[in-house]
Formats: sequence, structure tokens, C-alpha cells
Amino acid sequence: MTIRALIAEDEPILAATLAKSLQRLWPDLDIVAMSPNGVDMVEKTLALKPEVLFVDIKMPGKTGLEAVEELTDSWDDARPFPQIVFVTAYDDYAVDAFEHAAADYVLKPINDARLGKTIERLKKRLAAQPDKDLSQLLGQMRALLPAAPAVERLAVIRAAVGNQVRMIPIADVVYFEATDKYVNVVTKDGEALIRVSLKELLPQLDDKLFWQIHRGTIVNASCVLSSTRDDMGKYSLNLRGRPEKLRVSPLYAHLFRQM
Amino acid sequence: MAKRSFPFKRLGRDAVFTVIFCIGCALLITAVIGSMRDFVPNLIVSFCIGGTAFLAIDGVRLFVWDEHETPNLFALLAIILVSVPVSHFGGNLLASRILGFDTPGLTAYFRGQINGMMLFTLLVTCVAVLFFANRERLVRAEAAAAQERARALQAQLQLLQAQIEPHMLFNTLANLQGMIAIDPDGAQKMLDQLIQYLRATLNSSRVERTTLAQEFALLEAYLGLMSVRMGARLAYTLDLPDLLRKASIPPMLLQPLVENAIIHGLEPKIDGGHITVSAAQDGAKLVLCVADTGLGLDAPSAKSGTHIGVANTRERLLALFGKEASFNLGPNAPQGALARLTLPATLP
Repeated sequence: MTIRALIAEDEPILAATLAKSLQRLWPDLDIVAMSPNGVDMVEKTLALKPEVLFVDIKMPGKTGLEAVEELTDSWDDARPFPQIVFVTAYDDYAVDAFEHAAADYVLKPINDARLGKTIERLKKRLAAQPDKDLSQLLGQMRALLPAAPAVERLAVIRAAVGNQVRMIPIADVVYFEATDKYVNVVTKDGEALIRVSLKELLPQLDDKLFWQIHRGTIVNASCVLSSTRDDMGKYSLNLRGRPEKLRVSPLYAHLFRQM
Repeated sequence: MAKRSFPFKRLGRDAVFTVIFCIGCALLITAVIGSMRDFVPNLIVSFCIGGTAFLAIDGVRLFVWDEHETPNLFALLAIILVSVPVSHFGGNLLASRILGFDTPGLTAYFRGQINGMMLFTLLVTCVAVLFFANRERLVRAEAAAAQERARALQAQLQLLQAQIEPHMLFNTLANLQGMIAIDPDGAQKMLDQLIQYLRATLNSSRVERTTLAQEFALLEAYLGLMSVRMGARLAYTLDLPDLLRKASIPPMLLQPLVENAIIHGLEPKIDGGHITVSAAQDGAKLVLCVADTGLGLDAPSAKSGTHIGVANTRERLLALFGKEASFNLGPNAPQGALARLTLPATLP
């Protein structure tokens, strides 16, 4: 089987250079697409399902980490999840973080010897059992996703509803859900929009009580009635006081395994 | 009042000045009386009275107020008015014991025999207090000036660090490495720009003034490098009227703003955009603008980081021009951010 790869890199010369180096060092590799940003990378990866992704960390639209996180959510399990190699410049991301997460990465400017080692590792992994690798990648992603610095805890959510501001005690919130530009605050009795991002909100919440369960969802753990696992191995949550079910990303599924 | 330990160190430092004052008084009195034989007894009397007055006034002051606080004027006057007769009497008593003289009785005070000496003590005490107060002010002004200098130095250091960002350097080198194989002519041009950029940034930490022409040449090199890296995503216009080419400005004033526009405005934007850097004269002022069509100031990427650059620019302008200069960062129409600097125009 031909191994197919996608290169996600916003700087055109760097993308072309990496492609050239790969062609020279791994002639059998088929580079099926180049993505200039994170959004494009997610789209093309889902459409083409390549076996290997070279992902630049700093990209417009979505960072490399965000794009991979989204892929882990949207990937259908028919095919093995692609092997990921992060490509990073000097201080895009602390190299320590990659070492710590045992994720594969190459530093820009890329040197042939280092890239050669990465290629060897990729070949070995592609030959091995692929299933194990997704859980390994999920572990790596959890370690890599930047931890937000602790800030002051929110006690009350102030949400504009029409021309008045509603004060919602934080314990009343069942879950937060990211929409396009806003965050939807869902309580037993209704919903309200606030103009912050989920990323800004997360560090202001008590992490013992409020769990991120998806890229776009933070749930109040005390409002979770149960979690169910479907045939595909995907988790969803039943809530106290809300009829809808919440999807759990594979990245956070470990939170709902039995104790 | 907050709990604190009594500042004995400070009292000790003040005591040194008091000793000098006492010696001065003894010399003065000896000179007025005109007999050198009396110098030693005069000195002892002076020490006794001056020392007691000092302990009473400075002691109470340091006990009631903080070392660096300015005491209430009336309260201080009251302390002086009480301390002077008490220390005069007490000091005389002590000196008499030491020298074996007769102790002047309290009655002598009421008869007004010692009024002259008392007046002298009051006078000297007031002079001493004035001296300490002035010294206090000087010390405080000195501390403020030192703090100001430290802030300016810190701003300068931050500027230096910001100048050559390792991330920018490594990414440029990575591009250069790639270009050598793909487009050797382009690589040559890029290397020239990198050299020009490095030379200009390194120079700017050594000089205090540069010309707009030089600053724009640096921007041209920087934007040239960035446009190779970003490809079609970055377009730029540099607008410097010939009349202003020789205008003198502090170095590296515009470059951090252009860098901010790229890092926070254009790099994170999928389609990229345009940067316009312009200089114009408005009467006696020079108006410098960096406008971009990037994500703008509401974007999450703008919230992290820009503040250091913005604060740094403000600090520098304030330190260099005071109220003569201003810096404004706002939205650009129809999108993006607009940074606007106004400073006194210095044309040759």
C-alpha cells in the first residue's frame, strides 16, 4: 500500500521545502495535499484520509494542535487515525512539551538526519497495529494542549438577555456550549449567550466541578446523570434537568470510565 | 498604623548629622564668647542639649510617622515647642552634672535669665528640623529619579529583547534554507534583507536617534522577509514623503508596531492582508501610522501579548518627549488595527 501524506504549513517555501526533502528521503511517500491553514487541514484530512500528517504548530485559522484535536473528534473509526508529526520553529511551542508528551516532532529549519529518523519511526509505526496509536495520540494531545493559567474563579455569569443582564449563579449552569462567536450558557430553565470564548471561560471555572468534555463543551459534572458508550465506542452524557445528550470527544472519554 | 519595627538605623544616620550640628553650635558659641578655653564645656553642653532635643524630636517623629512619611506640620511644631524647653532644661542638668557646675534651678527659667540661651536652642532646633526635612525631600526625589531610570532601563531592555525574536530568526533561516535549493536568486535577495534587518536592529540599540529614512529601510527589510515567508498573504505599502526622509526619531519606534500588526493581525488571519506604514507632518508634529487589515483588536490573538509592546511604546514616548508625544491604538476601518504615533517633528 502506498503511504499518503498531507503537509499542513502556512509558509509556502517551508511547505515546498519539506515536500522536497520528503520526496528525496522517502520516495515511496505520496504527498496528496498541502494545507496553508488549520481549517483547510481538517477539511482535506477528513476528505482524503491520509496515513501521515505533518502539522505546523503555528498556523492561521486553527493552530496545529487545535486542528488535530478537532480531527480526533470528527474522525470515523473506519480507518486508522493518521500518524502525526508536529513541525515547530524554535519557540513556537516548548520543545519540552513534545518530549514530555512523547509526540513526534521536527524542528524548523529541518535537517535531513533528523527527518530521516522521523521517517524510520513512521514506517515502523505504520507497519504495527494502528489501533493502539490513537489512545497513545490522545494521551499526547492531552499533555500538549496548553494548560490555561489560573485566574480568579467566576461566581456568577452575567449574561445579556434582551436589554437586561441576567445573573446566573455558576452552580446553576448545566453546561457551556461554544457557538460561532459566543458561548451558550445552559441552565435547567433556559439558555443565555455570553460574549467570551470557551478558552477564556475555562480557567475561570472550578476544574473539579466543570469538565471540558469536547472542544466546544464544558459540563457541570454534578449535573451528569450517566454516560453511555455506543457501538462505535463513542461516549455521550445524560443530564439532570436537561433532555438533550452531550457528545464526549475521545480526547476526554477517559473522564467517564468507571472508577 | 501598620505594625513596623522602629527604624533605629535611620535614627543612627540622623544622629550623625546631629553630632555635626552640635559641634557647629559649640564652635559658634565659643567664637562669640571669644575664649578657646570654654570650647570643651561648650561642646559638652551643646551635645547634652542637642542630643536630648534630637532624641525627643526625631524619636517621636520616627515613632509616630513612617520613616519616609512627611509629618504633619502643626504636630511637628508642637513637638518642637514642647521639646525645646524640656531638652534645654534636661540637657543643662546633665551637662552640669558632668562638668560639676551648679545646677541651674527651675526658678531661673521663670525669672527669664536663660531666655537668650533658650531662644538660641529653639533657633538651632528649627534649623536642624528644616535641614532634616529638606534632606528627606532630596532623598525622596533621588529615589523617584532612580526608579524612573530603572523603568527607562527596563523598557530599553525589553526593547532589545523584542528586537531580534528567535522565532522570527529561525523561521527566516528555515525559509532561506529552502530557498537556496528552489530559488537561489530569491535566496540571495532574502539573505541581503536579513543582513540589513540584523544590522539595523543591532545598531538601533547603540544610537539614540535615527532618521525616518533609515527606520523605513529597516521596515522594508523586515516586511520583505515577512512577505517571502507569508507569500501572497502579506502585502505592504510604505509611504514616506521625501521632505520627511531626514526627520530624526528614536530608533525602533515603528518596527515593534509593524511586528505586532503582523503577529497579531495578519499571521493568524487565513487570508492575510495589507500593512500600510505612513509618515506625515502636521504643523510642528510628526504623525506616524501603522495600519493593517488583520483580525483587529477584538481577536483573541490580540488580547495576548500586544499589551507589552503597547505599554513599552508608551513608556518610551513618555520618557523621551513627556506630554509632547502621544500613542493611540484603535480599530482601522473597515477592519484591522491602526496604531498612530504623534511626536515633535525634528527636521534638520
